[in-house]
Amino acid sequence: MSAETSAPRRRVPKRWLIGLGVLAAVAIPFLTPSSYIHNVLILTFLLGVLGSGWNVMSGLTGYVSLGHSAFIGVGAYTAGILASQWAVSPFLVAPLGGIAAALVALALSWVTRRTRGVAFVIVSYAMLELLGLIVRNWSSLTGGSQGLLMPLPDWDVRFHNWPFYYALLALLLLSVAMTSAIRRSKFGLGLVAIRDDEDKAAGIGVPAPIYKSLAFMASAVLVGVAGAIYGYYVSFLTVSTMFDIVLSLQVVLAVLLGGRATVWGPVLGAFIIVPLAEVTNTSIGGVDAGAFRLIMFGGLLLLVTLALPRGIIASVARLLDRRTAQAGARLASTALPVAPMSSRTLAPGTDLLRVDGVTVQFGGVKALDNASIVVPAGSITALIGPNGSGKTTLFNVIDGTYEPAAGDVVLNGKSLAKLDRTGRAFAGIGRTYQLPRLFDSLTVLENVAAVNDRFEPRRLVHSAVSGAEAARATGLLEFVGLGEYVDAAATDLSYGQRKLVELAQLLMLDPAVILLDEPAAGINPTLLQRLAELIRSLNATGRTFVIVEHDMQFVLALADQTTVLAHGKVIASGDPATVSTDPAVLEAYLGDDFVLEPTTGPRP
Amino acid sequence: MIEFENVRAGYGGGDVLQGVTLTVERAAITCVVGPNGAGKSTLLRVLSGLLRPSAGTILLDGKPVHALSPAEVLAAGVAQVPQQGGLFGNLTVRDNMLLGGYLIRSERGRLKKRLDELAEAFPVITTRAHDKAADLSGGQRRIVEFARALVTNPSVVLLDEPTLGLDPKTCEVVFESTQTMNELGVTVLMVEQNVRFGLKLAHHGVVMERGQVLFAAPADELLARPDMAALFFGAAPETSHPEGGL
Amino acid sequence: MTLLVQTVILGLLVGGVYALMSSGFSLVFGVMRIINLAHGAMIVLAAFLSWWVWDRTGIDPLLVGVIITPVMYVVGRVLYRLVIARVHRIDHELAMVASFGVAIAAGGVMALIWGTEVRSATPSYFNTSFQLGSVVIPQAQLYAFAGALAILGALYGLLRGTFLGRAIRACSENRDSAALVGIEVERTMAQMFAIGAATTGFGGAALSVIYQFVPDSHYVWIGRILCVVILGGLGSLLGAALGAAILGLGEALTSSYVDTRWATAVPYILIIVILLVRPQGLLGGKLRADGARA
Repeated sequence: MSAETSAPRRRVPKRWLIGLGVLAAVAIPFLTPSSYIHNVLILTFLLGVLGSGWNVMSGLTGYVSLGHSAFIGVGAYTAGILASQWAVSPFLVAPLGGIAAALVALALSWVTRRTRGVAFVIVSYAMLELLGLIVRNWSSLTGGSQGLLMPLPDWDVRFHNWPFYYALLALLLLSVAMTSAIRRSKFGLGLVAIRDDEDKAAGIGVPAPIYKSLAFMASAVLVGVAGAIYGYYVSFLTVSTMFDIVLSLQVVLAVLLGGRATVWGPVLGAFIIVPLAEVTNTSIGGVDAGAFRLIMFGGLLLLVTLALPRGIIASVARLLDRRTAQAGARLASTALPVAPMSSRTLAPGTDLLRVDGVTVQFGGVKALDNASIVVPAGSITALIGPNGSGKTTLFNVIDGTYEPAAGDVVLNGKSLAKLDRTGRAFAGIGRTYQLPRLFDSLTVLENVAAVNDRFEPRRLVHSAVSGAEAARATGLLEFVGLGEYVDAAATDLSYGQRKLVELAQLLMLDPAVILLDEPAAGINPTLLQRLAELIRSLNATGRTFVIVEHDMQFVLALADQTTVLAHGKVIASGDPATVSTDPAVLEAYLGDDFVLEPTTGPRP
Repeated sequence: MIEFENVRAGYGGGDVLQGVTLTVERAAITCVVGPNGAGKSTLLRVLSGLLRPSAGTILLDGKPVHALSPAEVLAAGVAQVPQQGGLFGNLTVRDNMLLGGYLIRSERGRLKKRLDELAEAFPVITTRAHDKAADLSGGQRRIVEFARALVTNPSVVLLDEPTLGLDPKTCEVVFESTQTMNELGVTVLMVEQNVRFGLKLAHHGVVMERGQVLFAAPADELLARPDMAALFFGAAPETSHPEGGL
Repeated sequence: MTLLVQTVILGLLVGGVYALMSSGFSLVFGVMRIINLAHGAMIVLAAFLSWWVWDRTGIDPLLVGVIITPVMYVVGRVLYRLVIARVHRIDHELAMVASFGVAIAAGGVMALIWGTEVRSATPSYFNTSFQLGSVVIPQAQLYAFAGALAILGALYGLLRGTFLGRAIRACSENRDSAALVGIEVERTMAQMFAIGAATTGFGGAALSVIYQFVPDSHYVWIGRILCVVILGGLGSLLGAALGAAILGLGEALTSSYVDTRWATAVPYILIIVILLVRPQGLLGGKLRADGARA
């Protein structure tokens, strides 16, 4: 789902609005003794906490959960069981409910670590149903279908439900603060990058498995605590109320309605959904009440997806803040700025990257057959060959997308075999793609700022785009000629400009070797010249390039050495002039071994 | 004859085509060139019905075709070979060819006869009939794409960047297949990033920039114009792909 | 030993029915990449319709299943037109969420019409079986299995051997190319979705004879279907058949040798196990997006 990530602009009135709202929420128990209103607000806070949690996992990270209410059940039952075993107040053990929920989330991220989108939805649903079944069947511990009775509140009746009320209100504010902090952090930028394109994110130093596990745990922990308090509040735990699929639906509904991937959307949604539910509950009674409830919520969810898929906040923000699309402005033909220095420069001439006897098999076809290349530090290596000769496959082996059946990739004397894509990005491998891949819900600057050249837990909490890193990212964008576009949405760029942003991302990563996959394909001659100049000036600072390209004039003019692949084998390598006159190359690449169908040849 | 008259079209973020007026001759090869984002592919999309123009008219032999669906445009005799990857890779070559005749699927006899004719001109569709299209080589895939576009006997074939991502040798195959098609009497309107390749192959050249036609002229004339070379070709040496020079 | 043979036979018979129920879901996912969570609700709706007609008229419920197949086709057509066609262009996940809304609302509607009592159709052969040595083959399961196989065969033939089938598969690969050979993509999608819905006609009838059900049963059934398609590999019809056989066997073995209370958990456990061991499913291509873009 696409979601708005640009923060609403009008900060001052918003701050006042929030302050007033919090004040009102704090004051209400003193203003009205109505336990009905207290109850509605308690349920609203609960749904708000649940929604904020769901939003971190499903809004920011893009992994839709249909079983999020399971974390309420986990929190409630953990606290309930521990409270009765240890004979303490459920309030005391509520944090343990949160920890239990976070552990379940960790297990969930482990189960789904090798899968994407769709499978996650299914597992989240399976988790809800399975946990419900376990609680129901493990009756010796949980009371099974009999339910689990919670202790009575031990405070003075004069305080009514206030402890529940304020505890859940505090949790709600904490949830909002947490979402807001994540949104503004480098961690949050990484989560959005994962949502937009997880493989690409891995290649620019966003360690997706760690980020996802952290995001899932963050999305569960406060929900677990809230579940523990809610369980105490309703005083009697049953599977059908604690592992309630309808609650899972309500949370999806509330967040979509309020605004997915926004900080306040879940809260807004909760304040609409819960009162609505309570009003209809009291006005519809009888045996059919449950059925009407289902029809109403199901119908509402349907309505929101059809009529308001972006949610209230994003839709309003769009009305207030119409971004005018930049129509394909021409690249300024200014003089090239000075190339930024690299921190990885090696003595030129040493073997930087070695691919040793790599073989890759797809079905019966050998895409690479014992292919070896050596890339000296500071060189530009052209990798050419007919279509399907294995050039891109070789890139995919170098960056860890494919695991070769045989052979090894060695960078700076160290084998990369054991490293995943992110590990290789950190080790010094950076690549672009034939069709440029950017994070489309981020701005151009954020696209570059999302890059990490190493993993440090401390950096997760860094502010997303400010300070030295933002300055560096801006500088790199200026260098590639996109200085005027830093705040543009990635989707507003032309194809050629997107390629330049990918290059800037690589410079941010500052890898030891830069792999360019058909940089010249589909871009106009002016930009092509600019690109050649950029590559030359970067090379002059000591950077090493490997370039796959079909445009011979472009690439052979740049390259120091050329490697030719055909049918997965290296058939020649050496300096461009020699290679381009090598009879074997002419034979394989340009000559006549490709069997033309006789009748498609030129007619006499 | 195809006549574009002041055609405007876009994808929501402003018009990509900003009033295109252009006449495409019958039975010739016409190649549209121009920088990236000039609107070349969009021009083909509005003609084939994938994109509806927001203003202007397109006439095919005097009849308006700009408000038709892709199926209706195809029925009117205009077939498009899509950009790279247009074959249905999981279907066999034969199924791909049969789908080329989707519009005439109820006329079994005619479809079968047409497939036999094409099999003669492009043998690969018989020799690899039962292989998945994804298993063919790049050149063979292009041939099948061309043949598939010809099943309904179109009078006009549109080629969208036929050499994109192809190596020089496969480009030759495209070059020859396009000529074969044209010799069968088909009008070819193609869009090409590789200017030299396109203009060598075409009779007429059209230069587009920023959603408009800059000028149209015989292709060899365009190739020879020095200002064109400066604007679009860069200061490249006088070699090019189809001849196989490096 | 007899118990084992008996259990395996029962598991496989039920697996055939699961395969039919999952086939429509798998078809829709394969072509449109949409997880249609309303599929379970359509099955339960078909089950209610079969039971209701049988209850009123006494017509054999499995036969009713054949008759309501066109009804479910129309239901699918309407659902596509009103909901799926509007949201799937924005986003696949949004379409899934919308179908989740449809499923839950449909549960409410069925509860209003037919109440929440436990139902099941009990025709004359409902409790009779064929005796094969010491092994018992219940007639209801056998007929349901045979019907499911016949419909699956017809579906396979439709996809492989007809122009509609080729058009559906073409749309699943490349919409623009499909449009360019003259396929009306939207109409083909609608037909495909409706065919997927039509398969729930007999599936629901089989459910009404061999299981008890309530409106809320659709949660259980969508769970089973998700399990079947994840096991087999998303979008693979053959995989769905294999996954269905495994789930049927798993449930039967759990009921016989562990505890019927845990049989309900089998689909969910299988989902988690397969994702840990072989995330792309037994016969599926990779779920990863790698390479697909290059």
